[in-house]
Amino acid sequence: MPFRDHRDFIETLKKTGDVIEVTKEVDWDLEAGAISRRVYEMGGPSIWFKKIKDYPEGFTLYNGSQGTWRRVAISLGLPPETPVREIYRVYEERLEKPIDPVIVDEKKAPCKENVLLGNHVDLYRFPAPMIHEGDGGRYIGSWDLVVTKEPETSWTNWGMYRFMIHNKRWLAGWPQPTSQLAHQMKKYYLPRNEPMPAALVIGTDPLAHMVATAPVRLGEDEARVTGSLREKPIELVKCETCDLLVPAHSEIVIEGEIPTDRIVPDGPFGEYPGYRSGTMAEGVGFRVKAITFRNNPILTMIALGVPIDDSSIAASLTAGIAMKMGLKHRGIPVVDVYVPPEGVTHLIFVSVNKGGTQVTQEVLNYFTARRVMVSKVIVLDDDIDVFDSGQVLHAFATKCHPGRGMLVEHYEGRANSLTPCYSPKERARLKGASVAFDATWPPEWPEEVVPVKASFKTIYSKEIQEKVTKNWKSYGFK
Amino acid sequence: MKKEYQTFVRQFKDLKEGRQELFIKDLTPGPQKYDTKQVMAEISSHPEKMTDGDILRIRSESGILLPQVWGIKILKELPESVPGQPWEDVFKAMGKS
Repeated sequence: MPFRDHRDFIETLKKTGDVIEVTKEVDWDLEAGAISRRVYEMGGPSIWFKKIKDYPEGFTLYNGSQGTWRRVAISLGLPPETPVREIYRVYEERLEKPIDPVIVDEKKAPCKENVLLGNHVDLYRFPAPMIHEGDGGRYIGSWDLVVTKEPETSWTNWGMYRFMIHNKRWLAGWPQPTSQLAHQMKKYYLPRNEPMPAALVIGTDPLAHMVATAPVRLGEDEARVTGSLREKPIELVKCETCDLLVPAHSEIVIEGEIPTDRIVPDGPFGEYPGYRSGTMAEGVGFRVKAITFRNNPILTMIALGVPIDDSSIAASLTAGIAMKMGLKHRGIPVVDVYVPPEGVTHLIFVSVNKGGTQVTQEVLNYFTARRVMVSKVIVLDDDIDVFDSGQVLHAFATKCHPGRGMLVEHYEGRANSLTPCYSPKERARLKGASVAFDATWPPEWPEEVVPVKASFKTIYSKEIQEKVTKNWKSYGFK
Repeated sequence: MKKEYQTFVRQFKDLKEGRQELFIKDLTPGPQKYDTKQVMAEISSHPEKMTDGDILRIRSESGILLPQVWGIKILKELPESVPGQPWEDVFKAMGKS
């Protein structure tokens, strides 16, 4: 059975030992963020902060829903110990059967238990955390999903974008200028000079948040994708002030609009590449018109930073599968794609069943065709298990020719400005470069000259292998 | 008791003494800490000379804190937002308003 909401999920995590409840009072101003960050770096559990300074009982913070592969497995209804490769397989398999959402009456939507409208709107009613020292503000939207819609096609986008409190009734955020939200804004709302309705959703089905990190194709509804992962429809309910639909079991929904003619400063923020970098004051404003929330709302957050955390894990899975599907769609002989969380979607491992310069170039072309989030790709033969970083490093070190094995593509206007090595000027112009490392054997080499990998399974005959394994204990090994 | 505020600049060298339009964050402890206002203010790198002023802390675009505090005297509160299009540089937009 899929989880209905974050509360069900946390209850399960209690049983598996993957959440700790902190009952001591914690300050929303840096303390909750610092604790959460330290726990990520220790590989610890998710954290439910139950008593927050300055806030009444029942207003709580929860960090880290997808911060380990265990928690991702649990959110998919799999055993906690499920190997990463198997999690990838299940995710890919479930995506093949999209399931439409269902719309429920507001009486059946817990997110409508409390409704603040007009002058009653006050973002300071919620314990939005100041996550890192030096952040531009209190990011109430860090582990969120933001709902927007194309007015003509009704295509609804869910994306995970950062939003901080500007004042009582305004948020400031930074969906990337190459994001799908930006696509909708630039295509429809800016030309008409009409504000874009938006809803910022906090604390819903954990899979919905994960899908919001996914590079889903333009025009595809993330609500359907969430249904496929849940193997059951997600329940949606109409907003109070616009016709957007939001998950009915959300903890908090902030409704409003993104104006086309007014802006407020956002950032900086300690972002997913693991740095607080210079993307600041170039975002969007969000004028809040209503807030609906459950009784005793749980504000979900992520103390983003150096991997591994929820972002690097979720993006590993969602981006990895999307890339594999995209490469296949282009006719590239891809076998596996792994996005190592440590590489924070800047570094990708791709295995192919036929390598060489041409295939490597095609892989690079795929990654640089539109908005470019990836700066380094290692292309490998399919005898390498891409989920084993040791094998990947060995192949990269030995098979990638230092002269002809690196293919570089430069571009402008579509780079990922959060790439820490880009200069301020490059970030401002969305200028960047991507490199593909060809760590495959050239297909034109005659088979008899290709170096033979000196591993037990590849350099000895079957007979010797069988003899050795059969006699293993008799040699004195256990 | 002087109040404390915080503002952000891209680089510290962008700071200019005197009358400025600024977005400032109120650092008064409590549930509304970091509330942001746009103001017209007088700022000075010599806070000790601004006897009727408050304290201004300054951070760069990477959030790095300038070790020296400045002084600030708020002259007027301005609208909470500035005219501009999404993804436009707020600092440049402020200059135009």
